[in-house]
Amino acid sequence: MKFQIPIGPQHPALKEPISLRMTVEGEVIRDADIRLGYNHRGLEKLAEQKTWIQNIYLTERICGICSHSHTTCYVQGVEKLMELEPPKRGLYIRTLVAELERIHSHLLWLGVAAHEAGFDSLFMYVWRDREIVMDILEIITGNRVHYGINTIGGVRRDLDAQQVQRILDSLAILRQRSEYYKHLGTNEPSFVARLAGVGYLSREDAIALCAVGPTLRASGVPMDVRKDDPYAVYDEVPFEVCTADTCDVLGRTVVRIKELFQCYNIIEFLLKNLPAGPVAVRAPRRAKPNEVVSRYEAPRGENIHYIKSNGTDKPERLKVRAPTLGNYAATIQMLKNGFIADVPLIFAAIDPCICCAERAVSLVDARTGQEKIISLNSLKSLSLKLSAGNERKREAEWPL
Amino acid sequence: MNDQMVIDKAKASLGEKALEITNPAPRRIFIKLKVEDLLTAVGWLKAEMGFTHLATISGVDLGQTFELLYHFANNFTCVNLRTEIPRDQPRLPSICSLIPGAILYERELQDMFGIIVENIPDGRTLLLPDGWPEGNYPLRKDWKYERPPEVIPGGKK
Repeated sequence: MKFQIPIGPQHPALKEPISLRMTVEGEVIRDADIRLGYNHRGLEKLAEQKTWIQNIYLTERICGICSHSHTTCYVQGVEKLMELEPPKRGLYIRTLVAELERIHSHLLWLGVAAHEAGFDSLFMYVWRDREIVMDILEIITGNRVHYGINTIGGVRRDLDAQQVQRILDSLAILRQRSEYYKHLGTNEPSFVARLAGVGYLSREDAIALCAVGPTLRASGVPMDVRKDDPYAVYDEVPFEVCTADTCDVLGRTVVRIKELFQCYNIIEFLLKNLPAGPVAVRAPRRAKPNEVVSRYEAPRGENIHYIKSNGTDKPERLKVRAPTLGNYAATIQMLKNGFIADVPLIFAAIDPCICCAERAVSLVDARTGQEKIISLNSLKSLSLKLSAGNERKREAEWPL
Repeated sequence: MNDQMVIDKAKASLGEKALEITNPAPRRIFIKLKVEDLLTAVGWLKAEMGFTHLATISGVDLGQTFELLYHFANNFTCVNLRTEIPRDQPRLPSICSLIPGAILYERELQDMFGIIVENIPDGRTLLLPDGWPEGNYPLRKDWKYERPPEVIPGGKK
């Protein structure tokens, strides 16, 4: 008999509203279906009514974790439309904030993954250390979440020598801690056993379903926009693309931990080679009719904005594709043939509180395929009715 | 593989089908096609050029027509296939048989522009709410949102 279990859209364990409907056979997920739109804010339509500058702050609010990714992707596209050349120092600071954001996002993810795997001490350690990078971001930009540092033609705030020194000092602590997490993440037997083999996504499937970011790289495909299509100053910065070939949640963890070390190297390089000069140039109010495709490697993967201008101070069209949408098709593939208990781990942001969602059970007759929704109470009375005439074993022995 | 190689190969393989090839910036190639040749071009990109990653599909309302851009990328460059379909006959072939990952983007196009994607494996609504009125396609330029008047239950009349 197959059951369909709905999770979401409103679910205490879900951080964001999304509806998952899983067809299970016993504990095994046979099929998964996804329904989006519960958080659709009509942002692309709204962007057509706002000016180029207003849209920076609009795109910043697409996401709370990779807010800098969306503004940078948007701003560098608009700079191409306006034929602006931002000063080197501005680009260095922009890249610096981008890499700090990647660190904070990867640490957050590592904490959530550890929590879902039942390793809560790692979760608390990681989130404590994440505060270090949040503090650095606050020192640089004045904000912890929506940094508001990008502007068309550069950045809005400069760095001084004291701040640079403080970032370097904090970075040394982070690097030391990450060494410890790397050791834990790859050697702690219970943690590794929980992650290995869960959410398998083969290399072929990852490519066919157009997965992006660490999900794709953990399936052994070395694709990173920073390397393939260098924007800002990534063509000057030495770094490696991190991959893993285990194709499972363990691989995704390894890729992210490896990327943390690349981030530390990039930040050190940026701070040591920070050029002098202005941080921004003045931008015009209008852009000539043109179009641009802007790509950016966000912490979760490739982010792409398509911007079309029509000669006014507002865009004709702003198309945003955030990395998570690119990964949904692959997530369905990962869930298939997995266990219900692995859903939170695979989805990583969902708490293991599946039972809350099971109040309405829809029964599918395996022979006829007929579907019937039944409440828990009637299911209970059904089972009582069926077992009413049965002989009760009063003195049952415990089999072990 | 650099931009010039891709352009040369596109000219050789697609020939007349490629109506216009432009290269406005490094690593950005735009190829304009007729909608009938879209599947051929996608098949060519995938099989011969190794462009397996579809970044997204962008739709633009140009007034009389819808312009669609298929953004493909590989490790070296980014190719954008551009095609136009008339607004009164918005029909588009599905590329899911070649690129299975295109499904969500095609469903998004159906929701937002009212484009009919032919042979789509799963054509249900993706983003718009259940009970959304028929014929309302938010990203069309002539669609305007009107906020319904606020009624406070038991409030002033």
